[in-house]
Parts: sequence; structure tokens; C-alpha cells
Amino acid sequence: MLHNYTLNLRHLNRGELCPFQTEMMHYPEINFKRSMTRFFQSLDSVRLRSLSLIFLMVISVQFVAKAQSIEEGKKLFQQNCTSCHAVGRKVIGPALSGVTERRPMEWILRFVKNSQAVIQSGDEYAVALFEKYNKTVMTPQSLTDDEIKSVMAYIDDETLKASQATAATAAAGGAAPADTGTSLLTYLGLFGLIVILFAVIVALNRVIKVLERVILQKDGVSAEELDKLDAEEAAEKAARKAKVMAFAGNKKTVLLGILIFIIVGATAGWKTLITVGIQQGYAPVQPINFSHEIHAGINQINCVYCHSGAEKGRHATLPPAKLCMNCHNYVNPESPEIQKIYAALDYNPETSEYGDNPKPIEWIRVHNLPDFAYFNHSQHVMVGKVECQKCHGPVEEMAVLEQHSDLTMGWCINCHRETKVNFEGNDYYDKIIAAHDDIKSGGAITVANLGGIECAKCHY
Amino acid sequence: MQNNTETKYWKGLNELSNDAEFQTSQNKEFAEDLPIDDFFGKVTEQSKSHRRDFLKALGFGVSAVAVAACNEAPVRKAIPYLVKPEEITPGVANYYASTCGGCTTGCSIVVKTREGRPIKVEGNDLSSLNQGGVCGVGHASVLSLYDSSKLKNPMLNGSSSTWADLDAFVIKNLEASAAAGKKITILTGTITSPSAKKAVGKLASKYSTVEHVTYDAVSASGILMANKTSFNKQVVPNYKFQDAKVVVSFGADFLGTWISPVEYTKNFMKNRKLNNSREMSRHIQFETGMSITGSNADVRIPVKPSQEGLAVVTLYNNIAKFAGAAQYGAEPIEFAGNILANTAQELWDNKGKSLVISGSNDVSVQLMVNAINSLLGNYGSTIDLDNPSFQKQGVDGDMSKLVKSMANGKVGTLIMFNVNPAYDYADATAFKDAIAKVDFSLTFDNKVSETASLVTAIAPAHSFLESWDDNQAKAGLFSITQPTIAPIFNSRQWQESILVWAGEKMSYYKFIQENWKNEGFKKQSKFIVFQEFWDNAVRDGVVNMEPKASSSYSYSADLAGDVQQITKASKGLSGVAELKIYEKVGLKDGKQANNPWLQELPDPISKATWDNYIAISPKFAEEKGIKEEDVVEITTEKGSFKLPVLMQPGQAYGTVSVAIGYGRDGEGKCADGVGVNVFQHNMASQGNWYGAIAITNMTVTGEEYVLAQTQTHHSYEGRNIVQETTLENFLRDPHAGAVSHAMDDTYSLWPDRDKRGHHWAMAIDLNACTGCGSCVVSCQAENNVAVVGRDEVRRRREMHWIRIDRYYSGDPESPEVVHQPMLCQHCDHAPCESVCPVLATMHSSEGLNQQVYNRCVGTRYCANNCPFKVRRFNWFNYTDNKKFDYNLNDDLGKMALNPDVVVRSRGVMEKCSFCVQRIQSSKLEAKMAGEPMKDGAVKTACQQSCPADAIVFGDVNDPDSEVNKLLHSGRNYFILEELNVQPGIGYQRLVRNKKSEA
Repeated sequence: MLHNYTLNLRHLNRGELCPFQTEMMHYPEINFKRSMTRFFQSLDSVRLRSLSLIFLMVISVQFVAKAQSIEEGKKLFQQNCTSCHAVGRKVIGPALSGVTERRPMEWILRFVKNSQAVIQSGDEYAVALFEKYNKTVMTPQSLTDDEIKSVMAYIDDETLKASQATAATAAAGGAAPADTGTSLLTYLGLFGLIVILFAVIVALNRVIKVLERVILQKDGVSAEELDKLDAEEAAEKAARKAKVMAFAGNKKTVLLGILIFIIVGATAGWKTLITVGIQQGYAPVQPINFSHEIHAGINQINCVYCHSGAEKGRHATLPPAKLCMNCHNYVNPESPEIQKIYAALDYNPETSEYGDNPKPIEWIRVHNLPDFAYFNHSQHVMVGKVECQKCHGPVEEMAVLEQHSDLTMGWCINCHRETKVNFEGNDYYDKIIAAHDDIKSGGAITVANLGGIECAKCHY
Repeated sequence: MQNNTETKYWKGLNELSNDAEFQTSQNKEFAEDLPIDDFFGKVTEQSKSHRRDFLKALGFGVSAVAVAACNEAPVRKAIPYLVKPEEITPGVANYYASTCGGCTTGCSIVVKTREGRPIKVEGNDLSSLNQGGVCGVGHASVLSLYDSSKLKNPMLNGSSSTWADLDAFVIKNLEASAAAGKKITILTGTITSPSAKKAVGKLASKYSTVEHVTYDAVSASGILMANKTSFNKQVVPNYKFQDAKVVVSFGADFLGTWISPVEYTKNFMKNRKLNNSREMSRHIQFETGMSITGSNADVRIPVKPSQEGLAVVTLYNNIAKFAGAAQYGAEPIEFAGNILANTAQELWDNKGKSLVISGSNDVSVQLMVNAINSLLGNYGSTIDLDNPSFQKQGVDGDMSKLVKSMANGKVGTLIMFNVNPAYDYADATAFKDAIAKVDFSLTFDNKVSETASLVTAIAPAHSFLESWDDNQAKAGLFSITQPTIAPIFNSRQWQESILVWAGEKMSYYKFIQENWKNEGFKKQSKFIVFQEFWDNAVRDGVVNMEPKASSSYSYSADLAGDVQQITKASKGLSGVAELKIYEKVGLKDGKQANNPWLQELPDPISKATWDNYIAISPKFAEEKGIKEEDVVEITTEKGSFKLPVLMQPGQAYGTVSVAIGYGRDGEGKCADGVGVNVFQHNMASQGNWYGAIAITNMTVTGEEYVLAQTQTHHSYEGRNIVQETTLENFLRDPHAGAVSHAMDDTYSLWPDRDKRGHHWAMAIDLNACTGCGSCVVSCQAENNVAVVGRDEVRRRREMHWIRIDRYYSGDPESPEVVHQPMLCQHCDHAPCESVCPVLATMHSSEGLNQQVYNRCVGTRYCANNCPFKVRRFNWFNYTDNKKFDYNLNDDLGKMALNPDVVVRSRGVMEKCSFCVQRIQSSKLEAKMAGEPMKDGAVKTACQQSCPADAIVFGDVNDPDSEVNKLLHSGRNYFILEELNVQPGIGYQRLVRNKKSEA
């Protein structure tokens, strides 16, 4: 059951801190419950145990709910607040870390829903804040109390993490953070343990042998007899060895061995070599730490808003940096990653002016097709109506973009074999439909049936 | 039905004689002997390779490949635009209408650009001049843009300079010349741009001594001066070949090089195709060397340059007889079969529907031609003097006057654009001496070539693909030039420079707009707002004004003096032999000699690449004891030169022809030292350059030189693949000329193919194909075909996907010629497909014979098994290989590559793909639009370029498609049909408009 806890906590903290440490510091009520658990455990009663089980499950559910509210808060924060706020730094509005300590929750709820009302009510703190931030009006947010509370929970969580991180760095002088995963060391330790245990078994066997001998001697067995016994044992051993040797020397065994070796070797070789040049899972570090998760996932920006070429031609195309500025003129301008975009465009956010020394951003290509393969995005996106994710995977969940499919010819061909062509509403196919009896009789036609796996469809 | 199997076609004289040496060479797979003995023979110390060496190499190779394959994939970058131009989508081509600057003809073109760089030139369908066609030179001009030997900066006194310094220097000199009362001469080639002329006018209004002289290396001076005398109009008239039923040409290569060949081909062919009509014009050609025009004539008479004028006089006298006009006494000329008398009769029968032209620069000959056309009533019908052409404006006399005044020190400043007199002026020595006496000279050239090396300053001008301009090729036919790439080097448009020096603040672009606002815009009524008019003009590329009514003119002066002149000139050519200098279809006057595509384009007739040579008739050569490959030294009164000999069937007896445009110096790595410059071997006659000269001595040097000719590389093993007939027979039976093949018992190794959906096919009209080679260059540009160089061509390793086979038949002294474009036939039962061990060549369900480069291992079985010999093997890596230092060897040259077609590597076979990239993209376009594919939506590169519209491509499964109709027409036949390979290309039988021999 404790394991259950750990999992939840790790999930919560994304493995950055020792779960128990967090638990102790952040959720004191759990401390109590844990001691209760220990209490129940110590009772060593089946009934009580099952009781404790139920109790623990209730706690877990509560705990999960808490985690969910932070998750939800994060989502809400990113959707509604990031254009003006960040937790740890000033953007357009103030930094929000520790806001729950600075202001009571009731005040926060009022302010978020309608800041102008609070200011006009003459609230001293609110007026001061308004003055400090150049009388920038905060857009009233149509969020429920619960939603605002979960946003605050998220902010608190972030604040805490930030303070811990600083504390940890200060304390350990930049020591490596605690490793919570099952490390290599654990495995090595286990292995060592097994070796030691084996050694112990061997040693114990010897001891047994010696002791047996001592017993025999004590029982009055003569030394000669003992030697005889030893010789018998040795002969037995030799005979066993000879048998093994004969078996090993047998031609059939050798042949079988070689065969097995070849088969295993060839299979391993094939499996290794076939992956040469395949970059599935390739997720290079990009010059700008761009997250598809934030843009395509959380903010639901349509893929073709940036990759507009996908609907027009061969290349999906990377967006020009100027396109980023449509949002990032306002959103997160102080993020070091966004600063890189400004640097590329030679844009000065203070004066909102573009200089004359721009430097193109050199992204690393993730999806690489060989030169001899022609691929056209518009054919697939516009005509075939294929979802981007079909080939690129769940991009909206990728913080760092990686190559999802292996992009091999076999992979292409398979899809062409399986995909049924949708003729509906496309007059281009009229003549082709007329030519194929199968379609007329209502049968499905795959891409391959229309020549979609022929060489010169992609190689020219 | 005429049985054609008796006609023997031959590609070269060695095939005609079919000697043992030729047979052996044809049976060999490789041009050179393989070192087989070395490999299998006894291993000695001298042996080149040992078995152990082989094993070593093998071992090393295998491990190297293994190591290379395990390497981590390289990190590739993707660098997007920072600010994307709205009209550009990476991967999608943009097309811009412009005007070709390959020569001064001014054809309207459409430039295909990818990511802001031009990669292909196509004809503009909206143009009524070139009507969608472009010649090989035009296609190749896109590569000349990416010439890394161009000047990167302006030059002053031989060193790199800046525009500011240069401008200051030029203005200082202009002022000095004007102050000293010395002439400021702007020497240019023909300028068809009205705005450019105005810009020169601006300079003239600033400096009073400015004069503009036009100089054409190959001029139409004779025509200009004759028309001035006859009609007081110094113009080249508008020749309407489409209205002529009989065309008689004296040495005018109007399908190849003369004035406006693409336009003339388009128009001429309107009367030559028998697809929808039963009428065909008749074409009679008198010429010295075999030109493509002569090779397409119904009757071709080889004449010496000295006889040409006299033949014109005789023709005049014959016609005058019918017309009752004055006849002139001259040495009468006649050819076997009373050709001139018969021609006169034919012309007279087609009064007002005939056309007589001459390529001569002799004013007297041109006056005679004017008189003939006048007698025939052709002015106002086939010759239009009211809407003339401006494509050749140079008068030879102006240039000689200029050289004289330069020599006399009267010229203070000489500014040159698009001229290279130190190279191409017939009296280049005089020019070189004279330029030394000019105070200040400047050229707009962007290479330090012959003339540019003599000047004080070089102001490198933009290529036409980087320029704004307007053009008026013919009266009322305007075309706009717009830039399709940002300037590559620090160059400046020459008109811009002129405007700067004239003190004009306006940019040339604004200047053109102003001109149009004041003139062209006011003459039209379609648009009310100028911007709208201008945008439309730039988008369409052409602006057509209403042509003037063509009125009839007559000319009847006493030409006795001219007849005397003609006789005199004729006598001036007497010597050992007569030398005729001519332009080649590819290199023309040599201005684009550094273009490897043009250097490797086989001459349409001789099929020679990378050299000029002495073309001589086989009979004459035999008499002189000259053999093929001999290097012969020719001496004229202008000096001597040495060149290899090429036996040219159809060359007039007693003459030799040598091409100009070769022997460049300082032009670049592909041009320099290739061939010999023979511009200077030219006789002056009445102030014009005659184009021929008497040879005083001709000696065999004893040296030998192998020309890189492509023609005899691919043998058909004696199978007859050309079919022809006469008009008379065709009218009786559209199938006339068919060679019956024993096809009763067809059996096949292959199952019949499923031919549903699209089935791509091509029809090639042998009657229309002139052999000009435009398709070859177009294909090269479209499909990234590599240039291999002279040595590799000699080894039969040229890479062209389409070649034009030229066949002779009949008398070697005056043969008949057939041009047959030959490319992959996309056989439905392809012999190549059955022999490939790795299935690298396969058939598609759309009828394409696919070649998969990444699968090919280079056994070359397919090439051996191809009966058409159209497969090409990459013997080397032609990219990034210093041994093949052409366009694919530097980053700039690679900009001309088509990104939609892969660049093939060493060791793989390649061949025509029917432009599958175009098929795929047209299909995608149709699918995206949700419309059925229209006939003609896919145009292959060869088809699109063809000035004769000889090639039609389409879906043969579409019953209404043009290709379907042509493939089922009476004239259609399939080559090697008897092998049951089922080719995807049908040829329309050649029909000659001649009387069948009884």
C-alpha cells in the first residue's frame, strides 16, 4: 500500500524530489495517517488489516484528487494566465509565486474575477498594485471559485518547488539531485548479492563435506576407506566429465551448436543492421526549446497554422520566425527561449523595432527522407485526408518532438496497402471508378490498387 | 503501296560503306578495348592488376562500406525564412513571365522558379511571336545565369572597384570627351527595348556628342540595306511562312539560326503537318553546308557561295519571263533536273502565296530577291513591311565607320553592351588597334573575355533573369522582362548605369513604367488605371498592339548594276575552294559558349559536340586526299587555321563550312580553347560581310583528331526504323509508306497488362521535327542530366535522355535527311524489364517504364537488351567531381538543378521517365481541384519546348485526347513493332512533298 503512495507522489512531483521528503514537508496530515497505518500494522490482525486497507484507499483517492486539481490548475494557468503572468518572474503582470501567502484567498477570488471592481472599491493593496504596473487592466477571468483555487494550488506547488530547488542547491552546493528511479547501482547490488549468496552456498557445501568426513572419521572409518571413497568420487567425476566431453565432441552436437550460433548471430545481426539509418525516436535538442505539447496540445493551435505548406505542396514547411511573433509579441516575452526568437529577428521588445541584423534559426530536421524518395504532404493531407498524427504520432503530447514512425519504405507501403481510397466528391476519380468493376460493385479500393506502391510514385 | 524496305538509311558514311572496321566497332559494347588480357592473362610483373590486388580491393571495399553504413546519420538542418515572402511556399514552384535574353530575338518566356531561383525556361503561350516555343539556346540560358566565372564586382583599370568609384570615373571621362568635342559612342548589339533606347537618349541629351551604333556579329545588313533602297524602309520585314505555299530559301537557315527561328518554325510548320489537312507547303532550299532548314526541305540543292547569287539572278530571269519583266544577262546557272526553271514555274503558279528569302548579306542579291518577291506579288501577303521585325538592326557599314573614326582618334569614350568585336568582328585586328586610340572604353560584359580585356572599365551588367526591361521584337508585339532572382553578384543593369551617368535619379524600373504610362498605356483602351494595365502586362508578359494593315509594295528598278556586282563577288570567291562560315544551332555567335549544355548539344546534322570542324563533301575530300579525322590547315587572305575534318554528306562540292562561335578566350572553363575562331575569315562586299571567303591553300597536316560525335554510337543492327512517303502517295492512301511486318503470329513472354486508368503515351510527328535540339536541352534542364565532356562523349557515354537521330538516304553528295527524336519508348513489353536481376526497372500500371535508381546495381543488362539504345549509364559521379568540372561541380551551377528530380549517382542506369514528376504533379493538381484530368494538362519537357509542336503527350485511354487520335491516324507507326515490344511512342510517318520517282 505504501507503494501506492509513492507512485502518486512521484507522479505529483515528476520525480524531482524524494517522495517521502515531500510528503513530510508538504502534506502534514499524511504524516498522521502514516503513523496510524503503522499502528494498525502493528496490531497484526486480519480484520484490522483489511480495515486499514480501506482507510488507505480513501486517503489515496483524496490524494489523487489533490494531484488532479494541481494538474487542472496548471492547464488553466497555461490557457488563461501565461500571456501576462508567470509564477517566478514578472511579465506584464506581477510574479505570482507566494501570492496565497501575500493575499487571502477571498481577495484573490474577487481580484481574479474582476480586478477593476476591487481597485474601485478602494482596496489599498489593489490600488498600489494597479499603480505599480502602469495601470494595466487585468482582463476579468470567467473562472469558478474552484478553478481559481486549483490555479492557486498549482502556483503554490510551483512556488514550493522553486524554493526547494533553491534550498537544495544552496545546501548541497549544487550536488546532484536525489535519484529516485531504480538505478544501475541497485541492479549491480542485487547481482552482487546473488553472487555472494552463491559463494555462501558453495562454501557451505564444502563445510558440509568436511563435516561429513569428520563424522565418518569419528564413526571409525579408516583413512584407506576414506581414500577409496574419495577415489570413487573422483572416478565418478571423471566419468561424468568424459560423458560431457563425448557429448560436446559429437559431430551432431557441434553442428547443432554451429547452427544455433549462426541462427542467433544472423538474427541479431539482421535486427541490428536493419535499424541502420532508421532514426525512429530521434529527438534532437533544438536551438530553441520549443514544445509541441504547449502549442498543439494545451493551446490547441492547429498544425497547419504553422506548417502551412502541408496543404499546399511537397514540404510541410517550418514557420517563419515572424509567425511566432503573432503571439509572442505579448506571450512570455521574457522567457529566454522567446528571447532567442527576438535575437533571430533582431527584434527589440523595448522599442518594438526590428533591426537589420537578423540571423535565421537553424532547426535540426527531425524527419529525414533520403533524397531518392519523393514525398508530397499535400497529396496526403488534402487528397488522402490523412491526419498529421497518423505519421507523426501524438505530437500534441511531445514536449520535445521526436520521430514517431520509422519512415521506412515498408512502413509507407503497408499504409498504401491498407488505406482505402475515398473517392467521394472528387471528380478526378470518375474515369478510374468507371474502369474498375470492383468499385462499381461496391468493393473497396486501396491506394495500392491504384498503383500506389509502384516505384515511380515516389522514386524519380 | 510503296514498299520502303528498299530505302537504305544511314547515319554516317562509315555505315553506308559498312566496312569491316565499322562492323567490329558496332559489335563492341565499349568504345575502347577492355583490359581483359590483363585480368585473365598470365600474371607477370607487368600486369596491371593481380588477383591479390582484386581481393585486397574487394576486402577494403566491403569493410569500408560496412563502416560507412554504421555511421550515425548526419545532422540535417532546416532553416526556415525569418520573414517569408507571401508568394513563396517552399517546395512549390512559381512562374513568372519574362523575355528571353539568350539572343536578340526576344522570345517571350515563362520562368519557373523554386524558392526564388529560376530553374527552367519555357515558352509563353500568350506570345504571338514564339507561340510557346523556345529554342535550345533559350533553355540553356538559365544555366548561364549560374556561371561562376562571372565578374563579382565592377572593374576599373584591371582591379576590383565599387560602383561609386566607377560612376565617378565614368562621368569624369564622359565630361572630358564631351568637352573635347570627341564622340561618346554607345556600341550595342541589336536592342529591341524601346525603354533602353530612351535611356541611351537620356545620355545623349546630357552629352551632345553621344552616338548609338548597333553592331550584330551575325547581321542582316544585306536585307536592311536592300529594303532601304527598294522601299525606303531599313527593316527586316515580317515574313509570314504560315501563308506561303511555296518557300524558296537561298542559304537562309530560317528553322535554325536565321533572325527568328522559333517563330518561323512555328509558322512554317502550320502548313507542313497533315493531321487535319490534306495540304502541305513546298520548301526548296539552296545552300552550301547542310543546315537543319536544308535537311527539312522537300528539295535541297547544294550550291557554292559563289553560285548562290547567280542562282538568284537565274531564278529572277525565269520568273521575269513569265511576268514579262526585264531580264538581265548573267552567267546562267542550272542544276540537274532544271530545278531553277521548275522552281520559277511553281512560284509563278503560287503568285502571292509564295515566299523567296535569302540569307545573303550581299545587298545586290537581296535587291534581286526583293524584285522576285515583287514580281510574285508577295508584298502585302507573305511579306509584311508595315509590321516589321526589330530583331536584327545592325548594319555592317556603321561598324566599319566607327572603327575608322576610332582609329582616327575621333572617339573619346566607347561604351559597349552585348558586343564582343575583338572576338567576333570580321576585322577584329583593326578594332583592337582602334580601341587603343580611344581615351576611355567601358564594357558591360561580365567576363574578362576578348574585348573586356582591352577596356579601361568593366561595369558588369545583370543577366536578363535579374533585370527589368521591355522588348519590341516586332512592331506591335511587346514583351516585358521581369527579374526572377535577386542579383547574384555585385552587378548592375546596364540601362541603370546609363541612367546614373546621364544624371537621371529615376531607377530603370520606374523609367520603364514612365515610358509605358506615356505611350503603351495611352494606345489601349482596355484598362483605365495604369497600375492595372502594368500589373496585367507583367503578369502576361506580353502586350499586343493592333497591327497595321499590311499594304502591298512593288519594286522594279534597273538591277543591271547589281547583276554585275553579283558576278564580281562570285569571281572574288574563286580559289582552291570556298569557305562558308555559319552559325551552329547551339552555340550561335558564341556569346553563350561557356554553357556546357550548349557545348554538349550535338549539332543537329553532324552530331558533333565540343568542337568546330571543317565540313567537307565526301567526293571533294576524296579528290583532295583528305580522310575523316585528318587535321587540315586552311589558308585564306585573312590568315590560316587548323581544324579536324568532318565528312558532311550534302556539303556543296568545292566548298567547306566552318562554324563560328568557337575559340573563345577568357569566357570561362567550358568555352576557352574549344575549337577555333573563324569570324575573321570573311570577305567584304559592298560594305557588308559576305559570310564566305576564297581558300587560297588547303593542306593536310598529317595530324589526326577524333571528333566527339554521338551519331554512330547506338546501332539498330540494320533494323529499319524510319518510314516515309510522298505527299502524292499519302493523299492516295494515308497508310502509304507503311512497312509491313510479319506480325501474324504474335506471342508474348509476358501476360497482357491491365491498362485501366491512365495510360501515358506520346506521338512524335516526323514531318514536323526539324531536329533543332531544343528538346534535348529542355530535357537536360528538367531532369538534371549531367554533362560528361568531350572525352566521355567519344567513349559513347553522353547522358542525354532524348537524342535526335539523323538518318541520310540516297546520294552522299545530296542526301535526303530524316530527323527522329529517340527516347525511352516505354514499351508495354519492355525487353529491359525482363533482364534486370534486381527489378530496378519495372512497368507501372500507367504505362510507364520506371527506372529505380536506388535499386539499380548497375549490371547494364537492360541497356544491352534495349533495342532502342536509350538507356544511359552513370560511369562516374558527375557531381562534385573535379574531373567533370561543369555545372554540377560548384554551388552556383547546382542552383539550376530541379529539386523534384533526384541527381543520379555513379553506377546506376538512367533514362527518360516521361517526365513522371510532371505527371505526378498534374495529377495532384487535378485531385486537389477535384476535377478530372484535362487532355494536355501534362506536358513533358521535350513537348513543351518544341518549336514545331512535333511532340504530343497524353493519356491514350482518353478517347478524346490528341495523342489517342494521332496514334490511330493513318500516318502512325511504331518503331520495331515486329518485335512485339509494344512501344508507348508512336511516330507519324514523314511525308515529303516531292514527285514520286517513277
